[in-house]
Parts: sequence; C-alpha cells; structure tokens
Amino acid sequence: MKRLLGLGLLLTVISMITFAAMNLLGDPLFNILGPVAEDVDNPDSVKLIEEAKEQYYLDKSLPERYVRWAGDFVTGDFGVRFSATGQPPVTDLIKERFPRTLQLMLMAQLIAVGLAIPWAVNAASRANSKTDKASTVTAFAFVSLPNFALAIILFYVFSIRLDWTPDVYTATDPFWGFTHDHKLMQMLLPALTLGMGSAAGYQRLLRTDLITTLQQDFILMARSKGVSRRKVLYKHALRPSLFSLITLAAINIGYLIGGALVVETFFRIPGLGTAVVEAVLREDFPVVLAIVMIVATAFLVFNYLADLLYGVIDPRVREKENYKESIFCSWKRRVEPVDATVEAPT
Amino acid sequence: MTYTTETEEPLLTLDDYRIGFKTERGLAKAVDGVSLTLKRGQTLGIVGESGSGKTVLNRGVMGLLAARNTIESGSAKFNGQELVGENRQSFWGTKIAMIFQDPMTSLNPVMKVGNQVMEPLRQHKGLSKSEAKQRVAEIFTLVGIPEPTKRLDQYPHELSGGMRQRVMISIALAIEPDLLIADEPTTSLDVTVQKYILDLLTRIQKEQGMSMVLITHDLGVARGRADEILVMYGGHVMEHAPTEELFENMMHPYTAALFSSIPHLHHKKHTRLSPIPGCPPDIVDPPIGCRFASRCAYAQERCLTETPPMTYDGDHRFACYFPVKTPQGQEALEKNQKRGHTASGLQIRKGKVA
Repeated sequence: MKRLLGLGLLLTVISMITFAAMNLLGDPLFNILGPVAEDVDNPDSVKLIEEAKEQYYLDKSLPERYVRWAGDFVTGDFGVRFSATGQPPVTDLIKERFPRTLQLMLMAQLIAVGLAIPWAVNAASRANSKTDKASTVTAFAFVSLPNFALAIILFYVFSIRLDWTPDVYTATDPFWGFTHDHKLMQMLLPALTLGMGSAAGYQRLLRTDLITTLQQDFILMARSKGVSRRKVLYKHALRPSLFSLITLAAINIGYLIGGALVVETFFRIPGLGTAVVEAVLREDFPVVLAIVMIVATAFLVFNYLADLLYGVIDPRVREKENYKESIFCSWKRRVEPVDATVEAPT
Repeated sequence: MTYTTETEEPLLTLDDYRIGFKTERGLAKAVDGVSLTLKRGQTLGIVGESGSGKTVLNRGVMGLLAARNTIESGSAKFNGQELVGENRQSFWGTKIAMIFQDPMTSLNPVMKVGNQVMEPLRQHKGLSKSEAKQRVAEIFTLVGIPEPTKRLDQYPHELSGGMRQRVMISIALAIEPDLLIADEPTTSLDVTVQKYILDLLTRIQKEQGMSMVLITHDLGVARGRADEILVMYGGHVMEHAPTEELFENMMHPYTAALFSSIPHLHHKKHTRLSPIPGCPPDIVDPPIGCRFASRCAYAQERCLTETPPMTYDGDHRFACYFPVKTPQGQEALEKNQKRGHTASGLQIRKGKVA
C-alpha cells in the first residue's frame, strides 16, 4: 500500500517535469495553425490565434493547465493533439499503438530471457573452458552490435534471402499463428533484434551469478546425492541465481523502449516508438507526454513485479514481511516441555 | 569388529592414492600417497589440521572434484571395484553418502527440506511422492527431528543449525548407504548439539551396520567413536592405529602435538595449551624430507633430507625416524633442547615441549 502511494507520487513528479519541459520548448501554436501563428500583424490571424489559444487552453497559466491535464489523465482522457484538427484524440492513438509496442517488448523480453538462461547455464557449468570463452566472445559481439545493424542483417537473411518471415507488418492481421499473415511472425524479427542484445547482457550477468552459486556447498551436496547434472543446474543452481537477472530485466524495460524506437522505424511497425518520433518532431506534446507517462508506468509496474518475483523464487524474502512479528511473538511460545531428567549440580 | 571377520574383503581400500590440483605455480599435491583400508561396519577417523588433505581425500574418492583441474593416481577400490579413472556418478546417492561441515550452507535455501531429502529417494529408490514423504517422516523421527510432518514443508532458514545438520544426516541416511563420509559434521555447531549429533551418527552407524569415515580436526571427537584413527598432515599419512592403541601409544610427534594442543579435563587450572608453531607446508613445492620437520621439536638433520618411510608395528603404523617415547626420540629431543633449537632452526624453550 505504502508502495503504491510512492508509485503515484513518482508518476506525478515525472509528469510535472515532462509537462513543464514540453511547454518551455517550442511553440505549439505553429503546429496547430501553420504559418498563421507567426502572422501577428494581421487582425484575422490574431483572432484565429486567440481562438486556438482558448480551445487548447494555451491562454491559461502553466499550473492551471497541468491540473486540468492531470485531472483528465486520471480518468483516462489523454487530451487532444496539437495539430490542425486535433484528431484523432491522444487516447485513441495510444489505444491503437500501445498493444503493438507491448507485444514487441514482451516478445523481445521472452526471447532475451529464453536465450540467456540456457546460454548462461551452459557457459557457467563449463566455466573458463573453450565453450565458455567462445560464448563470452559471442555475447560481447551481440552487445556491441547496434540494433539497427542487427536489424539489417536479420532482415536480409531471414526475410529477403530465406523468406522465413514476412517483410511487412500489417496492422489488421491476427496475432497468433505461424504464417506470413500473422503478427507473431511479423514481429519475430523486430523482437529478435531487440532481444538478442539484451540476451547477451543477461547471459553475462547470469553466468557470473551461476558460477558463484555452483561453488556453494549445497551444490556439492546435491551432486553427492546423485542428482543428475541437468537437475543440479536447472533445479538447484538456477533459482537462487536469478536475482540479478530479474533486476536487470526489469530495468532493461527502459532500454527496450529506446530500442523499440529504432526497431519500429526500421521494420515500419506503427507503435509507440514511431509515434513518439513523429510527435517530438511536430512538437505534438500531449502525445509525447502520454507516451512518457505510459513508459514510466510500465517501467514502475515491471519493477514492482520484479520485487514480487524475488519473493516467489526465495522463501527468505517472502517471510521478511512477517519476520518482525515472528521474533516478537515466538519467544513466549518456545518454552516446550522436555522429556528428560536433569541431574542436580553438586 | 562386530560386523566383520578377518577374511572379509574390506569396503574401501586405498593404495598409494594421490590427488594433485593443477595451479599456476605447478601441481598442488593435496593428497600424496595415502594407503588405507576400511572394513565393513567400521568407523575410520581421519584427523589433521586445516589443509592437511583430509577433505580433498574424501571428495577425491567420491569423485566430486572438478575433473578438469585434478590429477588422480594410485588405486582406490570400493567393494572391490576400482574407482580411479572411473566415473563415480553411479555411487552418488546410492552406495556412498556424505555429510558436510556447514549445515548452514549445505542445504539449498530455496527448496523445502522435505523435498531435499526426498530427492535421492525418488530418484534412486523409485518411490512415489507419498511413499517418499512417509519414509522421510520416519527418518526425521529417527534422527530426532520433532514434528516431522510439519518440518517437511519448511525451508532451511526456518530451522536451527542442529536441526539442519539432522536434515543433512537424514539425506545421507535416506538412501541406506554402505559408506557414510562425515566431513567435520559438527564443526559449525555448538558443543551441546555437537555431542548429540555425534552420538546420533555413531548410533545409526551401528544400527545400520554401515561403514563411516569421520573427518575431524579434533582428536577428542574421534576418540570413542572411531575404531581406527588416521592422522594426516600435508597430504601424507603420519600415523594410523586402532583408537585405543593410538591414545595409549602415540608415536608420531605430530599426533602428540595435536593432542596437547587441545584442552583436557584433567589439566590443572590455567594450564597453557601448547599450540603447534608455524603453519602447514606448501603443497605445491613441499619440503624434501618429513613434511612436519619444520614445526617438529624432534627434528634432526636427517628429517630435512629424507622422507621417513612407514614403520609398521602390528596394527600401528607411523612415518617418523624419531618417534615419541622411544630411545631415538628421547635422544633427538634432548639433543634439540640442549642446543636450543631443532635442525630446522625452530627455537625450543627448555621443558616446554610436548
């Protein structure tokens, strides 16, 4: 509960800063009215300017406009765009674009984690061997390869040469399916482009944590019990090693959104990434603001989920909450009758 | 001796067994030519200070060391089957079980203890989940864990150190092994729990008729629980004898020094303990002669140049030129006391030597 309050406060601060920054930069009137906005000597133009100012509340003070915007935002109305018609409303634009970016990010994240886990386990179980060293070099190659370069390579190989994946994104196609007419396949390359860089980063981190875990006594214990190598790695070693990976994966959401911008542009997916680029260029600041808020919320939500996940993988985290209570109460109950005789000291 | 006759084949036989680790400086000879036999149903105590190779010896026999950096040679036979050079995975959790030193770190912190005990049962004995649960509850009762069914669903951090060590013992016992290797099972527990755990181990070992290797750095722990005691130092066997014989008749200066470095009840108040000066030898580049020579009050010139061979006296064997309480030993000690230092240059204060 305390946490939710903190989240709300954080979002408010973020929105305030963005709101102020967007209003200090540029002149939204120019985008709404075109050249008329600068024609201040003509009474007709002045009249138009006044009307527009009133219509978009630009004649009000900054705090007043913020409060008005925030009130609308909370009820799910993201306002009107700063364009000639103001259509479509920001809410509709976001509703249309957000699911695509979310799909892309989730797919990228799944691919990244799905690649990183077996990759790291494999490398860590053979630490410092040739396999491990080769995988380290590969990981660095992926990390240092910019995503637009990777996008070009993947697109050339899989779409143009092999034709395994479609080369256009069609917004009206259904998601689930494995043909060129399904979004799943259309998004595969963009997600792979985004995911592979992250996978390499995850692999580096998880490998290090796994190597540390594999040196623990309980791993030796598990081996001496005759647990198979595979089970030792995936059942005993992996789970306690996941903490840093979860932390990084949650923080990485921010990086993925930045990456989505490039990837969506390259693969021509009309998502939030392309929307924000257009909006920034046109100084359409309600759109920018809405996207900033969505990204910030997504970031915070995923980090909150990460915190919940810690508790799922480690019972010690789960019980921290009740810890204070338990040490406080149990000392009274602990005195239990003992079935033994005590010799009196002489 | 209850479970064995002289003609029966020993459970474990080591012959000139060696383990070396590849390091950047060279080969670290952690175990350097150990020979021993362990009869069925018997307990062998392996005693020595930290770094003497006792843990490596057992992990080596078990095949738990990283194969890539380890060189193993000599012979180790379990039940007549050669182990060196073989994959020992089939023994893990079936014939040999281990108990580790620190119950705080030897249990998986994110798995319920019940599942950790059930794992080998289900895997090797093919028990169903409910059968395994039942069996674990029985074992928990056997090792003195109260409310066994409740404990099954608890995590290691919810149990005390003593309880965790009992869980470890349960894991080892669950599979009914032929050989139980207990590697300093009580070192990280407090004294009252130590005695309980040791008595428990001894009792169960007798009841189930299994053999046990009890590794400890405390001669007192091995006394009364081990049938035989093997004293190791720097990867070498220093002395090996049946327990009673060893305590009555300590031959090796190292054993004697080890014994006088622990407190005894019959000591007068404020008796100073005699620590062993110096530290264990460098195993990458070990000294040429006796490995203990640089710390030994009996050391003569000969000890620095020649490795003393094993001397056999019935069941008792030791590797020393100047054993304690023998004429040679006394002479060597007196000589060193007279000149105020040993052959290796160790200073000796008069009358203050074990």
